[in-house]
Amino acid sequence: MRIPCPHCGERDVSEFRYGGDASRQRPAHGTGDLKAWHDYTFTFDNPKGPHTEHWQHVLGCRQWFSLNRNTATNEITGVVE
Amino acid sequence: MPEVMLAAQSPLESVSAFTARDISIREEAGFTLTQVAGFGKAFERPLAAAVGKLPAKVGALQVNEAFTVFRTGPQQFWCVGDVPPQGLPGECLVTPLTSSRCRIRVEGALARRLLARAAAIDFDARSFKPGHFAMTGIHHTPVLIHCVGDNAFHIYAMRTFALAVWEWLVDAGEGMVA
Amino acid sequence: MTAFKRLDTGGRIDRSRTLTFTYDGQRLFGQVGDTLASALLANGKMVVGRSFKYHRPRGFLSAGIEEANGLFTIGEGNRAEPNIPGTMVPLVDGLVARSQNAWPSPAFDLMAVNSLAAPLFGAGFYYKTFMGPFKKSWMFYEPFIRKAAGMGKADAAKDGARHDVEYGFCDVLVVGSGPAGLAAALAAGRAGAKVILAEQDAEPGGSLLSESGDTLERWRAATLAELQALANVTLLVRATAQGIYDGNQVVVSQHLANGQLLHVVRARTIILATGALERPLVFSNNDRPGVMLASALRSYLNRFALAPAARAVIATNNDSAYATAFALAEAGVAVTIAEERAVPAGDLLAQAAALGIAIFPNAGIADTLGGNTLKAVRLKGRHSVTIECDVLAMSGGWNPAVHLTSHGGIRPRYDEAIAAFVPGGFADGQFGAGAMLGHFGLLAAVRDGEGAARSALTRCGISKMPAAVEPPAVRDDRAYGIAVAADPFAVTVPGKAFVDFQHDVTAKDIKVAHQEGYHSVEHLKRYTTLGMATDQGKTSNVNALAMMAALRGLTPAEAGTTTFRPPFSPLTVGALAGRSVGRHFRPTRRSPLHDWNAKNGCTFIEAGPWMRAWYYDWAGATPQEAYVKEMELVRKGVGLADVSTLGKIDVQGPDAAEFLNRVYVNGFAKLPVGKARYGVMLNDDGLVLDDGTTSRISDTQFYMTTTTAQAGEVMSWLEYLLQCHWTDLKVHVSSLTDEWGGMAVSGPDSRKALQLAFPDAEVSTEALPYMGVKDISFGGTTVRILRLSFSGELAYEVHCPANFVTALWEHILKAAAPLGIKPYGLEALASLRIEKGHVAGLELDHRNSLDDLGLGKMAAKEKPYIGKELRLRENMQAPERWSLVGLELMEPEKKLRGGSILFAATDEIKGHGRGYITSVTWSTELGKFIALGLYNGGLRHEGEEITAAFPLKNEQVKLKIVSPHFIDKEGARLHA
Repeated sequence: MRIPCPHCGERDVSEFRYGGDASRQRPAHGTGDLKAWHDYTFTFDNPKGPHTEHWQHVLGCRQWFSLNRNTATNEITGVVE
Repeated sequence: MPEVMLAAQSPLESVSAFTARDISIREEAGFTLTQVAGFGKAFERPLAAAVGKLPAKVGALQVNEAFTVFRTGPQQFWCVGDVPPQGLPGECLVTPLTSSRCRIRVEGALARRLLARAAAIDFDARSFKPGHFAMTGIHHTPVLIHCVGDNAFHIYAMRTFALAVWEWLVDAGEGMVA
Repeated sequence: MTAFKRLDTGGRIDRSRTLTFTYDGQRLFGQVGDTLASALLANGKMVVGRSFKYHRPRGFLSAGIEEANGLFTIGEGNRAEPNIPGTMVPLVDGLVARSQNAWPSPAFDLMAVNSLAAPLFGAGFYYKTFMGPFKKSWMFYEPFIRKAAGMGKADAAKDGARHDVEYGFCDVLVVGSGPAGLAAALAAGRAGAKVILAEQDAEPGGSLLSESGDTLERWRAATLAELQALANVTLLVRATAQGIYDGNQVVVSQHLANGQLLHVVRARTIILATGALERPLVFSNNDRPGVMLASALRSYLNRFALAPAARAVIATNNDSAYATAFALAEAGVAVTIAEERAVPAGDLLAQAAALGIAIFPNAGIADTLGGNTLKAVRLKGRHSVTIECDVLAMSGGWNPAVHLTSHGGIRPRYDEAIAAFVPGGFADGQFGAGAMLGHFGLLAAVRDGEGAARSALTRCGISKMPAAVEPPAVRDDRAYGIAVAADPFAVTVPGKAFVDFQHDVTAKDIKVAHQEGYHSVEHLKRYTTLGMATDQGKTSNVNALAMMAALRGLTPAEAGTTTFRPPFSPLTVGALAGRSVGRHFRPTRRSPLHDWNAKNGCTFIEAGPWMRAWYYDWAGATPQEAYVKEMELVRKGVGLADVSTLGKIDVQGPDAAEFLNRVYVNGFAKLPVGKARYGVMLNDDGLVLDDGTTSRISDTQFYMTTTTAQAGEVMSWLEYLLQCHWTDLKVHVSSLTDEWGGMAVSGPDSRKALQLAFPDAEVSTEALPYMGVKDISFGGTTVRILRLSFSGELAYEVHCPANFVTALWEHILKAAAPLGIKPYGLEALASLRIEKGHVAGLELDHRNSLDDLGLGKMAAKEKPYIGKELRLRENMQAPERWSLVGLELMEPEKKLRGGSILFAATDEIKGHGRGYITSVTWSTELGKFIALGLYNGGLRHEGEEITAAFPLKNEQVKLKIVSPHFIDKEGARLHA
């Protein structure tokens, strides 16, 4: 599998680290809202199909970015700006 | 008490250069590496004053008189020279990294072939030319590979992994000339 | 008299260059250009193996990668490789081949007694017979079955071959170098695309190699010459495309002289010109040596100059086998065709008549006659005649080699017109050409190949279109005709009719499977093991599917097919591993002091990727002896330990303090410059992520340390927070783990040691109090002195850039020699911290909270920090959580073991207990074994006597729960 790093170009997946669902908003720091943190931390969808997710080019420029990947086909339709 | 001077030691002191007909692997020490980062564009002007022209985008490099400058991140540069850059103001976040990397030179007609057995990067002479570099992985560790001649490369490997990377490269070299 | 004779002329062998090889210890000769298979046939070796279950004699079925019978162990000693089809091995001088699954030889096999017991070995035989009478029967029988039904044996010795992995990149990867592949590669190459052409055979040309006549050979040679002259085209031979993965990544395994090279090719486009594989016909005793595929016989004749001694019979249901018949007749072989169809095509009949070939229409094969080798065949139908022959060539039609197209999940589609499966579609960037599409014709292949290349070029964005590929000057392709038997079970005599030759699955087995309810093709496969041998059913699958479909009254299209998965052909684990074996299995990480340690009596221990100094021989010959001495050194004098493996991170920027204040549970915003603070960070879920000491170097710069194990995790986590979420914070983080090294100077004499080493530096307790940090300039570099203690004694850490660590270490050892300073290792380091009650990696297992570790009081009350909300969840405060306790051994004559399970004194010793021991050591101060552990309810049970069980050794010992701080609870030593 190949991952398009927005800085270094397309690279082998072995250079990257997966960082999970990128579609949800992290609760504000210090919000104190237990429910918000609980939902953010523990409740995940496990979609078959399009998924927006974080990746880090850990053996390259070390930048985090997010991209859209189809979890059923591994087709990557683009980096999220 | 006499003045003590601490001698520098390379992680590759226990090995000697690998040389075969079409491939050589050796350490090329004696450089300084300084990482300079900042925020926005403000730090680039004083940095340029110290090290010369800066490459415009991540993955590009600029060979100046005293420094080879690699753009290693959107707001981050690596400056390699004989001595560290001087006179950088506070908006430049300076991190000396000279000790953190070990520089290995791979050279010869088989160099590109050898690298193709080490990193998942296209080393074709028509695409990875002198003056190109890539941050990638060799033997699961991060490296920066700089093409310094038609068939000559500098590999900047992590110091603590340098011997492992060295042995991995030499093993590949031995397999190719066996 | 042998079945095959070598012709004096023709073929692709070099008669002037004779090669010597050994086969089962016998010296034989062949020619350059031979395969092991052709050389064995030339030497009269018709029986080259024994079948899997019944030990029936077997000869070569094919001349290619689909070979089911002729498998050999090639090479000797640690270079021996089993289960290699002889058809794929180019003959070289000195080749050593051994037959398999036969003892003492294939021609005289004592195990053939299995044949007499044949009725036992039907479908599902293993499952039915060996499952009773006891529960473990299968386990009991299995080794015996493996021995009787063996394939070649893998050697236990370390592989003597050198395998490697090479990454490749191209615009167009062409798989197969038959006419379609050659045309595709040429067209793409002419346009300047970067092309890799992978051919599994030792010689490029595919089906062209098995043709006769100069016209095709001239075209092949000219095309190859042009390809080889193109710098942008790489030709790989003996290179098999094994699988296609996400992103059009293709794994191609290539045999080289000294091992295998696994090409991992990222292809922008892929042209599959994989050709087609011929199907056998299913009739009684169709496995007798001398019976082979018609295409194979044509290969042996045209490529290897091997002709049947006198007579051949061709059995076919389609037009393709006529080419074999005609070539044989032209070579002077008497040929008879048993044609299953009622009316073969007129042009074929006319040509056959001209060549004196007798044709029996409506006449399949009823049975074959002979002993170990074929003597005659009996035709079925009205002409129930017996014909003597040396070779029987059969053709049941052609299966396009669609395997690679379905690796991405696309199912093949059944095409009635050719009675075979064709690609059900192509993934993005993949194209097909030639016979793999079911287009059986030379000119069609060339046209397809060129067309596919044009599509691929367009897909790659290469606008330059190449000059047209000139096809070979041959007559137009004739249409391909086939009529498969209406009843695939029209087997007239009760002999075995094989469908899967390699796994000995017969037509009757398929009937049995159907009778017993295994109807789906997937069940059929598993119940009969059809298609599960090393050839993966290349010759058997479609015949079997057609038979099952007929039994169920379905068409093959309705019955469907099984799924093709990588690898396309057998691949050794060695090839996949490449050089990642032994010390190269994973990279070893070494401290800057590694070389010094190696030369100075250090014994190393692996800790994750690191090689760490375990103990030094000055203190003892065994770790048990040495670490106690090293601990005493630190408790009573001064010792020096390598702590370079700690994670170190440079945190810089105007918002650095705010950033750390968010990340750590305790406050860092107001940490003064020149001071260090111990900090703990949590994950979002409120559990402990890591701990470490972070120092403030300036208003905007901090020097963070992490545990050795979590350094990479913490670094990525900080980058994640800054780059994905807190993009407003002006902070940069950089790893310094490799840039800085360090050493702990520990013990009551440590200050004196520093004074000796750095006479110009002020290290008094006033100038450098506990948790003070100062940078000094020394010896041409920056030295950072941090007054920290992991051992609980007065102690310092001295850090400097890694290039100078060894020199600094030697300097301190020399300067402080009058104090008796010596190095100590990881075992002592870890034991000292257990006595002090410091938690480390063994306690920080990502499952405990701050409170579980007794660190709850560290957390700031007011300020927010990561993990705060979920840390304060109700169940995270539950009293029965497993939390940190100190443990003392109550039975001095016994041993305490890490990992022991903890039980209350009254508990039955059973199950998971109430906790476990994380770390254990001998305490020099207390003179007994002590431990840290996690226990249900933790220190609420302080003073209680409990039991530690170690079931692996059937040991139980009594312990007392105590405070985890075994020494110096007030910290007087630290602040000395």
